[in-house]
Amino acid sequence: MKPAPFDYARPSSIAEACAILSEAGGGATVIAGGQTLMPLLNLRMSQPFILVDINGIADLKGVSRVDGGTRVGPATRQADALRDETLARHLPAFVAALGHVGHYQTRNRGTVGGSVALGEPAAEMPATAVALGATIEIASVSGTRSVKAEEFYLGPYMTALEPDELVTGITYPDWPDGHVVLFREVAQRPGDFALVGMVGALALDGGKVSRAGIAWFGMGPTPIRARQAEDALLGKALTEIDADAVAALAVADTAPFDDHHASAEYRRTVGKRIFARTLRETLDIRSAA
Amino acid sequence: MNFHASSVGATRYVGERTPRKEDSRLLTGRGQFTDDIQLPGMMHIAYVRSPVARGRIVSINLEVAREMPGVQAIYTQADLAAIPVQMMSFFFTPIESPVSLLADGRVACVGDPVCMVIAETRAMAEDAAALVEMEIEEETPLVTIADAKTGPLVHPDKDDNIAAEMGDEDMLEEAIQPLLDKAPHVVTHTIRHQRIAQSPMECRACVASPDGSGEMTVWMGCQSPHLAARYLALVLGLPQESIRVIAKDVGGGFGLKNIPWREEVAVVVAARLFGRPLKWIEDRYEALTASSHAREQEVTLTIGLDDEGKLLAAWSDYACNNGAWPMGEDANIAVHMFMWPAHKLPAYGFVTRGWYTNTMGLGGYRGPWAMESLIRETTLDKAARKLGIDPIELRRKNLIYLPDQPVTSGMGIEVTDITPGECLEKLVANVDVAAFRKEQAEARKEGRYLGMGITTYIEPTGSAGSMQPMTGETVHVRIEPTGKVVAMLSTHSQGHGTATTMAQVIADRLGVAYEDISVFEGDSAIGAFSPGAAGSRQGVIAGGATWKATELLADKVRAVAAHLSNASVDAVTIDGGMVHVEGAPEMSRSLKELAEIAYGEPGRLPEGMATGLEAQFRYQPPPMTMTSAAHCCVVEVDAETGFVKILRWISSEDCGTVINPGVVEGQIAGGLAQAIGQVLLEEMPYDARGNPLAATFKDYLMPTIFDVPDFEYLHANTPSQTIGGMRGVGEGGAIIGPPTLVNAIADALSPFGELGGKKGEVTLPLTPSRILDVIEQRDVSGHSAHAAPVPAAAPVSAPAVPEAPVAETAAPVPAPAASASIDGDWDMTLKAPMGGQTFVAHFETQGTSLSGYLSAPEGQQDFSGGTIEGGRIKFEVKVDKPMKITLKYDIQLEGDTITGKCKMGMFGTAKVTAVRA
Repeated sequence: MKPAPFDYARPSSIAEACAILSEAGGGATVIAGGQTLMPLLNLRMSQPFILVDINGIADLKGVSRVDGGTRVGPATRQADALRDETLARHLPAFVAALGHVGHYQTRNRGTVGGSVALGEPAAEMPATAVALGATIEIASVSGTRSVKAEEFYLGPYMTALEPDELVTGITYPDWPDGHVVLFREVAQRPGDFALVGMVGALALDGGKVSRAGIAWFGMGPTPIRARQAEDALLGKALTEIDADAVAALAVADTAPFDDHHASAEYRRTVGKRIFARTLRETLDIRSAA
Repeated sequence: MNFHASSVGATRYVGERTPRKEDSRLLTGRGQFTDDIQLPGMMHIAYVRSPVARGRIVSINLEVAREMPGVQAIYTQADLAAIPVQMMSFFFTPIESPVSLLADGRVACVGDPVCMVIAETRAMAEDAAALVEMEIEEETPLVTIADAKTGPLVHPDKDDNIAAEMGDEDMLEEAIQPLLDKAPHVVTHTIRHQRIAQSPMECRACVASPDGSGEMTVWMGCQSPHLAARYLALVLGLPQESIRVIAKDVGGGFGLKNIPWREEVAVVVAARLFGRPLKWIEDRYEALTASSHAREQEVTLTIGLDDEGKLLAAWSDYACNNGAWPMGEDANIAVHMFMWPAHKLPAYGFVTRGWYTNTMGLGGYRGPWAMESLIRETTLDKAARKLGIDPIELRRKNLIYLPDQPVTSGMGIEVTDITPGECLEKLVANVDVAAFRKEQAEARKEGRYLGMGITTYIEPTGSAGSMQPMTGETVHVRIEPTGKVVAMLSTHSQGHGTATTMAQVIADRLGVAYEDISVFEGDSAIGAFSPGAAGSRQGVIAGGATWKATELLADKVRAVAAHLSNASVDAVTIDGGMVHVEGAPEMSRSLKELAEIAYGEPGRLPEGMATGLEAQFRYQPPPMTMTSAAHCCVVEVDAETGFVKILRWISSEDCGTVINPGVVEGQIAGGLAQAIGQVLLEEMPYDARGNPLAATFKDYLMPTIFDVPDFEYLHANTPSQTIGGMRGVGEGGAIIGPPTLVNAIADALSPFGELGGKKGEVTLPLTPSRILDVIEQRDVSGHSAHAAPVPAAAPVSAPAVPEAPVAETAAPVPAPAASASIDGDWDMTLKAPMGGQTFVAHFETQGTSLSGYLSAPEGQQDFSGGTIEGGRIKFEVKVDKPMKITLKYDIQLEGDTITGKCKMGMFGTAKVTAVRA
């Protein structure tokens, strides 16, 4: 379990990092916290020619308020983000999900961007980005571009990020004050990737749902937005919400799979239940059923 | 607590929660593990392993790999074969499968080592290993037990895929089925236990350093340096003293490290060939996929009961997956030996088989026979539900309590002082079962599902004298001239804390401070032969040896002091490192003063007494010492998600004299953690092509601190018949844990039906998906689509008969007249409980009557009164080891070969083959 030989670079700016990525012609891999990459390197499942360490790039770290949202630097440590007051105030759903990423020890090293960019379909942070409507900011020697989270994830560990590109920021739009956080996951052990999980936010206006963003993780090849459920919730008064019916719609958008930890049928069955249970508990409503 | 009468001071150390001597170095990162060994000129090894489960090696191209930087050599089996090796099991019997250190022409499982790369660093070795080109002609592998029964041969030179086989199929029809037919209640239950990766915290490791001519020092992760040295010497055909094994600290063994296996032996062989120190440190990927696995067994048990719940008869059909290269072919006869000795069961029979497949080989794992408790206790609970009897009452009706003993089980296990019933009574006296039942009923009304599992078990520990290498322990203990105490032992700790517990015994029996005692172990150059940590034996046997050796030393101290003080020996006491003479306080001396005289002033010693203060004792305990326990576990099952939460777990064990409650509880807790892993989390699945699917700890789910509750402990302390009265406790938690948890879950789910569904089949682990199968009464887990059916039905059908290509082993009809005489010597092999036994059979015929002898290095057994008719040979041999049984041979001569079977009493039937010597 020793990595295949690789070169190592520690650029100090985004431009320098992009230049190295460009020069490597697809043979480079970015390392930040290394919580996923190091095991993959040691197993030789990942064999880059050059490892680009972005820990020396100050511009990639930290949380800031931007117009209409909150921007998280991808190299921000998960542990730091969990303690961040801006995130706690503006993105409680993000914080709720982040607390389930790995373990206390791995969060000291793991980064927000690493979790977002890896594209593990059962991970919390990609689904959170999709649910909250985040935008992924990307740079390369050719310039910068932004991709909506929903369009960023293409398949398991496959994203819209090109080999010469670097994630430079993740911007989460503001949700109204007092919005409701939805989060629940079922994992065999605390810290494991979820067998099934859901994350989202609901904004209420005059007792009615005015905005909804909900996504699944562990329910398909990518994080999956529960669009039908969102549509069903919009405009509804809390007393009108049939949690079971909405949950059924939410599951209808998924494409779960079998593995030796759980069957697709389990994921559908339990996914529907945790969705309904979370809606009920969070909105303190009773199912019509 | 019950102690032997003490002749030393008042300070007690036995029974105390003494801090462990090992902890400071282990907790501060100063342990000395094999990977800490750095030697001048040492090279590093990486293995190239087969990515294919079954096939013929067409070619191995090493040209590119050999040119890589730092590469010193790349060996294949053709190179290692320069030093012949005959691999053996833990019992020092030859491995029957054609196992070689590296693959020899064929591969039989994914992970089979094919090449060994030797390089300046491990990374360089791995770089080169990645460039070895292997062409393997892939064949369809046999992965499951069902595959083994019907597929082609795993080992083409073997007759069939049965690695080992015991039991008497005829007994079902002749003896058991009639009893079951008459029984008012018959309950059948099946459990499939998944494959386990042993996963010690420290993976396997070996450093071999050739010293001088033909000598070798080996640092190795093992469970006994003495056993490892003896094993290496035996398989290499070397004098034992030519190999020294050192293992200071080892992070977990569990049976995986009982014996050096292919990779470790290959390191030793390669070091001899290469002439320089070599190091191999197994990585976690190798450990999960290519270290000997464990469990993977299927058993169906049928019990008959009367209306009161008393057992009438039982039959079981057991199969385990031996993989391709087991560390000893195994049909797990111990499952059947230890299933019922604690119960009043009139009749029991079984068939039991181990099967070869193209998967990683089977190794022993903490309580290797644990299936006996799992199937018995879960079947008893199922019966209790069926009969409407409280599961505690059902056990009370059937358990053997102390007043019932001594009693000998149908399989010849004599129990004289087991206490599972007494442990159960102590347990239920401390758990308010009635209050729980009330709480459970109320919770169910709210849709909350609580369950309680209560189980009992017994365990053979401290085995000695019935089979190689299970034997006694030698302890050498001395008081140095400094007054400090030193003990030399052949114990070994992979976390057991033997330096602590043995020092406690010495402190207690000698009257010295615990801090003044140093225990040396972990080196085959220290102490005498013992198998170390194996079979829950160290506390019992080393504890007894230390107890007695220390008393002998105390006797000498008292004799010297009495002589110096002109007092009687009885007037001398030792306490706190001081020697006192009753009625003469001015005569008190420190042990240091006494030792200085004993070593330096021989003239002051009694006439003829040897100088120094030392004693040595080798303790051979009774052949077996039984430990008993009853456990209770309370769970809540989330009916929506199928998740199990363990709310409470109470252990009520009887391990006799407890040397250190902390160490005992640590052993129980560790075993229970493994039990929780086995029931809920751990699994090493294989795909249809024979690929192991859990290659990292992301997919192989070990229980974490979040999954293991704080256990509660009750200690009964019925002294055993050993010196000191200890009973072994190393494996118990891993044996009784699984049925306790499964029963608690089954109890919680009882409103929905049986855990095993209509078919009565429980498959571990009980993943949330499988639990929803029960709750929802439908196939949530997809289980029925994936798993092959177990060939068993209620009440009992004929035992599953291997379909093909198994050779007929018996000779049911008279065969044609033999073409040759049987007279003379034959090399005969008997597939016995502990592996194949090979011996010389000598026959002499007179007409149809037959006499002769069976001869092995251990001795010769004569027989007479046999018969030979038409080539069919029948004779009987009486043996008394491991227990008294009559072996009834029924074999058939065919030219120059003999095949047939041997009935071995309750051990059932073993296969016999012989060729002319």
